[in-house]
Amino acid sequence: MKQLFSLFTFLLMSIYSFSQVTIKGKITDAKGNPIEGANIYLDGTYDGASSNADGNFSFSTSEKGAQTLIASFISFENFVKTDNVENFKTLVIKLREDVNTLDAVVINAGSFDAGEKSRAVALKPLDIVTTANALGDVAGALQTLPGTSANEEDGRLFVRGGDAEETQVFIDGIRVFSPFLPTGNNLPTRGRFSPFLFKGMTFSTGGYSAEYGQALSGILALNTINEPDQEKTDLQFMTVGLGVGNTQIWGKNSFSINTSYINLAPYQWAFPDKNNWLKPYETGSGEMVFRHRTKNDGLLKLYGAYSYTNFDLIQEDINFDNGFRFALKNNNIYFNGSYKQRLNNGWSISGGLGYTHDNSKINIQEDRITNAENSAHFKVKLKKRFSSRLKLSFGSEYFITNFNEDFHQISGNSFNNKFDNNIFASFAETDFFFSKKLAAKAGIRLENSEITNEFTISPRLSLAYKSGKNSQFSFAYGRFYQNPKNDYLKFADNLTSENTSHYILNYQYVKDKQIFRTEAFYKPYNNLVKYDGAFASPLSNYNNSGSGFAKGLEVFWRDGKNIKNIEYWTSYSYLDTERDYKNYPTSARPNFASKHNLSVVGKYWLESWKTQLGISYSFASGRTYTNPNIGGFLNQETKNYNSVSINAAYLISQQKILYFSVNNVLGTQNVFGYNYKNQPNTNGVFDRQAITPNANRFFFIGFFWTISDNKKDNQLNNL
Amino acid sequence: MKKNITFFTLLVVLTISAQSKYETGMQKAFDLWKNNKTTEASQLFERITNAKKTEWLPPYYVATIEIITSFGLKDGAILDNKLKKAQQFLDKASTISPNNPEITITQALLNTAYIAFDGQKYGMTLSVKNNSLYQEALKMAPNNPRVILSKAEWDMGSAQFFGQSIEPYCKDVQKTIPLFEKEKLPQFYPSNGINRAKEVLKKCKKQ
Repeated sequence: MKQLFSLFTFLLMSIYSFSQVTIKGKITDAKGNPIEGANIYLDGTYDGASSNADGNFSFSTSEKGAQTLIASFISFENFVKTDNVENFKTLVIKLREDVNTLDAVVINAGSFDAGEKSRAVALKPLDIVTTANALGDVAGALQTLPGTSANEEDGRLFVRGGDAEETQVFIDGIRVFSPFLPTGNNLPTRGRFSPFLFKGMTFSTGGYSAEYGQALSGILALNTINEPDQEKTDLQFMTVGLGVGNTQIWGKNSFSINTSYINLAPYQWAFPDKNNWLKPYETGSGEMVFRHRTKNDGLLKLYGAYSYTNFDLIQEDINFDNGFRFALKNNNIYFNGSYKQRLNNGWSISGGLGYTHDNSKINIQEDRITNAENSAHFKVKLKKRFSSRLKLSFGSEYFITNFNEDFHQISGNSFNNKFDNNIFASFAETDFFFSKKLAAKAGIRLENSEITNEFTISPRLSLAYKSGKNSQFSFAYGRFYQNPKNDYLKFADNLTSENTSHYILNYQYVKDKQIFRTEAFYKPYNNLVKYDGAFASPLSNYNNSGSGFAKGLEVFWRDGKNIKNIEYWTSYSYLDTERDYKNYPTSARPNFASKHNLSVVGKYWLESWKTQLGISYSFASGRTYTNPNIGGFLNQETKNYNSVSINAAYLISQQKILYFSVNNVLGTQNVFGYNYKNQPNTNGVFDRQAITPNANRFFFIGFFWTISDNKKDNQLNNL
Repeated sequence: MKKNITFFTLLVVLTISAQSKYETGMQKAFDLWKNNKTTEASQLFERITNAKKTEWLPPYYVATIEIITSFGLKDGAILDNKLKKAQQFLDKASTISPNNPEITITQALLNTAYIAFDGQKYGMTLSVKNNSLYQEALKMAPNNPRVILSKAEWDMGSAQFFGQSIEPYCKDVQKTIPLFEKEKLPQFYPSNGINRAKEVLKKCKKQ
């Protein structure tokens, strides 16, 4: 026994001390430059070494037989080799660059990311709520980015010569069918969603992924927060209304609710505008999100929103002596459920459904309109990650829209208009990194639309090339189809989809909290809807013979570095566009498109006052209008648009904030266009009325109070 | 029977040698760290992590070193790479040892590294996260001096920002000194902090 034990001890000793192998080699990058400080080791052992300045390394091991050697260095892919340890005596290792790093090329032609995850952030999360003229509205903040036009009387997103309905909004990948609150003529709208249920967003002004369709101009994709950090109650007291929010967390579940009631009656009593309000603007809304993380790390989110809008007003109109009456009652319910799950072998699945019910009762003068829209969206998407260099995603989706409208004229006539607009689509897309410097994204989207009885194929392609340490070029091309809007589909059944192509060239320079980017684009439009008559009515004839184009150049600069406590950005967009659509007699620049748009936003943190001061300036060159006193169509231009807005957020304590803002503080008299009288006066001249904002300035004061256990969180992110 | 004994002895010998190998390895890594060879130390911790998959300390130290060395970096890409790596190892550590207050406060330190780099970009979301991480850690270990100290320092930061007194937090820091002194920890367990606490107290006295 003793002998046996000694024998074993001896054997063990010999394993540990006698059979040492020395592993030596040199480690370089793909170009042959030595890498210093790489970690080279045998997996599962303590044996290893760091490479020196020449990339050389050497260490000895007593391991035997087949072993796995790993070489790792930050921002490079691991080198892994399994072989007999004897074969590791002289190694030459070349590491491949990891393409998943912040300094790798990124495919971004046309798109802006807001959120902390993205690499070059044009808008930070806080910006939505601290940009002076945005008043906490997502669309308002995005209007300070290039590619958008400042259409203050509308409030929606007008992207690169496209009208507002050419931009679609998505929440967690699911379409939002009516993202904006309904308003009347010349009354700016806001998004229905409050910004603080979201953690990030992508705003694309062109060339977007094959995952998105039915949008000719742009998409805005919002992602809700995955898991809230803490339980809290938020209270908001504002000059225009009240708000309450609450978040609960239990186990793997959380629930957030946010409600608000806005009534402009007190405000309009204090600061009357030029309208005669029979029922001042009133809206009540509630949103809630329930989130559940499943045992196998899947994530289920249920988002529901309800909003109610009601107003009644008489607006001055040159053609109606007693003014023009417009009243609206709208109910909107939106539900969105999504699920995400990682599977084995690099696969992941996500999907969801969205449903909207929207109904409105509208009074236009003495005529009554009631309409209802039911829409749904079903989507499933699979992703496969083959390596960090190759990813594939594909999926299918189905859109259903059912629209029904009753029109009762004062004369006693009534009309009923309805349609079903169902679309089935499939998409596939691949992301491929040739190297850290060159990447491509190629996709295709197939759509089959029932109402237009059409099958369309939309290819998409983006390329990006990193030209220097801080700079890169990108190119994007895509083909886009969108069914005609509800306003036409309800009257016509002979229409096909409208289409366009995007060609985008982008250059970007990013360094140390500074971003410079410039983008040039060209978009030809075809098959735009045309009709005859003064406005789209059941009596008009409709066809797809319209066409148009848009081209332009945009520049964006953001700097958070050069001046202490100051962060600012500036956007300039040049747009050259013409369309022959609607009832245009000829090709012309639409009224909503200004040739030049400029926006400057600045923020200053005043340390000693605990106050953030903000200022924003928007400029837009004149908008077209038709002057019937001289011949032609959209033949004249309004004067330039100018608006300066300021705001201040004062942190009273960690959980109490006082917020103050004034839009158009200088009270500039802006003009969006002119209404001409239908008949000339006795001198044979058509009189006109300027279309101007309802009030020149808008004041807002709010007090925001958060109640939570740790007494730290505040609503700075809601403002 | 004999065979069994032999086998058992062999097993014991092997286990002992493996155990001591872990200890030697860890000791060597700490020595490297003390001699400012942080890269080598981190790499050795990384190798130990891969070899000894049941210990949370090696990945914890890989993360700690990456976080500490990322403070003051100017290049966002390098910072992000380092902190991503730190996150990866911190996740490993917390899989091995869930609900560990030392890991929780290190997670908060990692977030602080991001906030220190770009407050505008990361401050809003991560500072809320840190508040709840510190609260969570304190619930798990109300008498752990490192938890109390790091929470107090974090609270002092926000108090100073709002121009409020840091006085209440100084008391918390004072509390940690005897706790540090009587603390008896297992080998290689994070034990730093008393000097830091004394430094913070000096700041308190100046007020």
